[in-house]
Amino acid sequence: MMQGKDLRPRDLGRPDEQLIQLDHIMPLHSPYDQPGMEPDLQSVKPEWREKYCMSLDGCAAIDTFPRPANEQEEKEWIEKFLKGLEKAVSESNGGVLQPLQLSMEYCAKCNTCSDACHIYKASGDNELYRPIFRSDVFRKIYNKYFHRGSKLYQKFTGADIDVNWETIARLGELSYRCNLCRRCAQTCPLGLDNSLFAKEIRKIFSQEMGIAPTALHEKGTMLQLKTGSSTGIGKAAFLDMVEFLEEDIEDRIGRSVKIPIDKEGADILLIHNAGEFVAWPENPAAFAILLDEAGVDWTLSSEVMGYDSVNYGIWYDDTQAKRIAQQQMDAARKLGVKRIVIGECGHAHKAAGITADRYSWGDDKIPVESFIPIMWDLVRSKRLQFDPQKNNFPVTLHDPCNMVRQMGIVQPQREILKVIAPQFREMTPHGTDNYCCGGGSGFAIINGPNFAQFRNKVSARMKFDQILNAFSDTITESLVPKYVCAPCSNCKGTIRGILEHYQATERFNVQYGGLVELMVNALTSIDKPYLEFLNE
Amino acid sequence: MILGLLLFTAVLLFIVLSGYKAYRYARMPLHGRMELYPVPAEKGRHQYGGSYMEEPEWWRKPRQTSKTSELIEMLKEMLFIKKLFQHQRSLWWISYAFHLGIYFMIAWTLLLLAGALTDLAGISVSAHASLWTGLLYYLTIFTGVVGFIITTAGAALLLLRRVADPVLKKYTTPQEYFNLLLLLAVLLSGIIVWSPDLTFEASRQLTAGVLLLDVTANTALTIHLLLLAVMFIYIPLSKMGHYVGKYFSFHKVLWENEPNVPGSLMESRVKSSLSSHISNGGKAADR
Repeated sequence: MMQGKDLRPRDLGRPDEQLIQLDHIMPLHSPYDQPGMEPDLQSVKPEWREKYCMSLDGCAAIDTFPRPANEQEEKEWIEKFLKGLEKAVSESNGGVLQPLQLSMEYCAKCNTCSDACHIYKASGDNELYRPIFRSDVFRKIYNKYFHRGSKLYQKFTGADIDVNWETIARLGELSYRCNLCRRCAQTCPLGLDNSLFAKEIRKIFSQEMGIAPTALHEKGTMLQLKTGSSTGIGKAAFLDMVEFLEEDIEDRIGRSVKIPIDKEGADILLIHNAGEFVAWPENPAAFAILLDEAGVDWTLSSEVMGYDSVNYGIWYDDTQAKRIAQQQMDAARKLGVKRIVIGECGHAHKAAGITADRYSWGDDKIPVESFIPIMWDLVRSKRLQFDPQKNNFPVTLHDPCNMVRQMGIVQPQREILKVIAPQFREMTPHGTDNYCCGGGSGFAIINGPNFAQFRNKVSARMKFDQILNAFSDTITESLVPKYVCAPCSNCKGTIRGILEHYQATERFNVQYGGLVELMVNALTSIDKPYLEFLNE
Repeated sequence: MILGLLLFTAVLLFIVLSGYKAYRYARMPLHGRMELYPVPAEKGRHQYGGSYMEEPEWWRKPRQTSKTSELIEMLKEMLFIKKLFQHQRSLWWISYAFHLGIYFMIAWTLLLLAGALTDLAGISVSAHASLWTGLLYYLTIFTGVVGFIITTAGAALLLLRRVADPVLKKYTTPQEYFNLLLLLAVLLSGIIVWSPDLTFEASRQLTAGVLLLDVTANTALTIHLLLLAVMFIYIPLSKMGHYVGKYFSFHKVLWENEPNVPGSLMESRVKSSLSSHISNGGKAADR
């Protein structure tokens, strides 16, 4: 095992059992600066080493890449990888070629990006997670195999890496040590983007080698294409859930709210991340209450591919991303709605609103927008009335990278919070500079043998520290509830994970939820608190 | 004659190769949207990083954009390397000295050219003959002296930092050292050749000689001019040609948030891109 500081990109193929150890992770702020406040890292079980690539850092995200049984198999994997690499930097990868080629060619190795990366910083500045480390491995392999020239010339250009199965397997794992949050790209003096390399490696693995984490591909994309949702909820189950939601709303607020389903020609087709129906039904219920009270012409769809906004393909496989986006658009078109509105799911915002924006044109396209501006419109036009005193506890806002840094939806959610939450305070940094929750690009749902440990202790560590800082005035007052408003399912899932891991709800009454729940809680028309922790 | 021709050819190649590089990037297929906020052209929203997508039914409303705001942000990046200033101040001091020095060297070269043309027109460039010749005389001295000093100091410090900083050292390839060494060689040989006469009269005479393809040079000057020619040809072929790349990475990637709405130019680009698109991979599609 190497000391992090000694590690070089060319070491990725070394025969060590494990390349680095996560042993100097970033300290947290008070009250987590005391010993015993967080669980230690679990050691790697020997059987995991047999089955997965644990040789990077002792964690595994990819649970589908078998160690080759013989040299021939190893050779075949290497060939597939190299073929994919060649394609990645070619016209056939047109959707990303220009930005990728720019990042391949012009990186000045000034290292400005490192301090922007929450994973690198949370790992205690471990070399393995430096944003340019991964990119440099990619560049070295490409230069070695696809740049013409003598060995001397290759040495001149820094193509000094050996490619074996270990190199490739570790590189695959390393592509899942980046949340694709693009905060590093925001700081690059040359405007380059290291996250592109992580994404391209994932694509090579999926599109050329047929390898992707089960949670993303088999239990994500494939399940969605088969049943209509990555949760596995089919049409019948979805309709049952909506019925349940209507009953739940009546129980909670004593009002009967009819949730419109498959209303042809509706103004708005609202698509949620279907995980909300399973894990946080109070969220789609809150949407229904708000839209009903404001008299909005809206509907949900029960069409397969019409009731789950997720699109995991954007994290690992362009082909899958396109398939899902087009089928979702088809479902909306069948219903004849005027616009598609995405609920509280960050990556679905990006997938439908940004990535898919150039997948089709003309009549094939229905306009897509975020729920946030619509909600702000209902608030500012006073179609919804609030009593902010109902939310008179500390509230902070997490900015999902996909909505904020990558779509520029920054201010409307803040305007809403100013109206409904008198103790709203920002995290530091926030807005387009905010840190990823640590669950971006699939981390929130990948568990592998022990990947949750990496997520909770490393990738989400910076977010947890930001939460502690935002509530530093009342963190130890356990009678005061503190609310992390995270208007995104993946972010919410990650924050749920860290609050459990660090026992922050149990110890310090740190709660979490979306934006619409907080809005409903402040509605003047509702007597009882909508947020359950206020009833406890 | 040969040296004059070589310099002409080198400058021409610098322009042609830089142009070709830009052409190659411009001809690449339409990529997916990858904007990052703040996007400076977003009128009224740029300061906090907002976009047109903050408006309900944004596609029904006219886009509020500001070319001035984009231009200002571009100039901040070009003239001051704003991102490096904000995010890595210690490196910015060195890098900025170097890049500012290059701007001075470009100004010096243009002033030499103007001086040479003035000379060829029969007006001698001197301190007191006229306002024009006085300006040429003093500005040439100022830009040349400052340019040589800060560019050379910047390049030397960039090299030193790369060698002394263990992180930068780890990622620096032999070619990247070569790039800095080549620039230093050009600068130092220039200092050797031109420093005996800080009025740069000899440089002006040489420039006039190049224009007339009539250059006589001693060994030191010949070496300097050869290195200069190599540098001009090599820059666009290496990552030192990032003046091309930076235009595309900012204007065509990070700041490009043009939506694909009916009747727009983007719609026709998407249409033509989709009709000619070659699908990538696809093995995973049905597995």
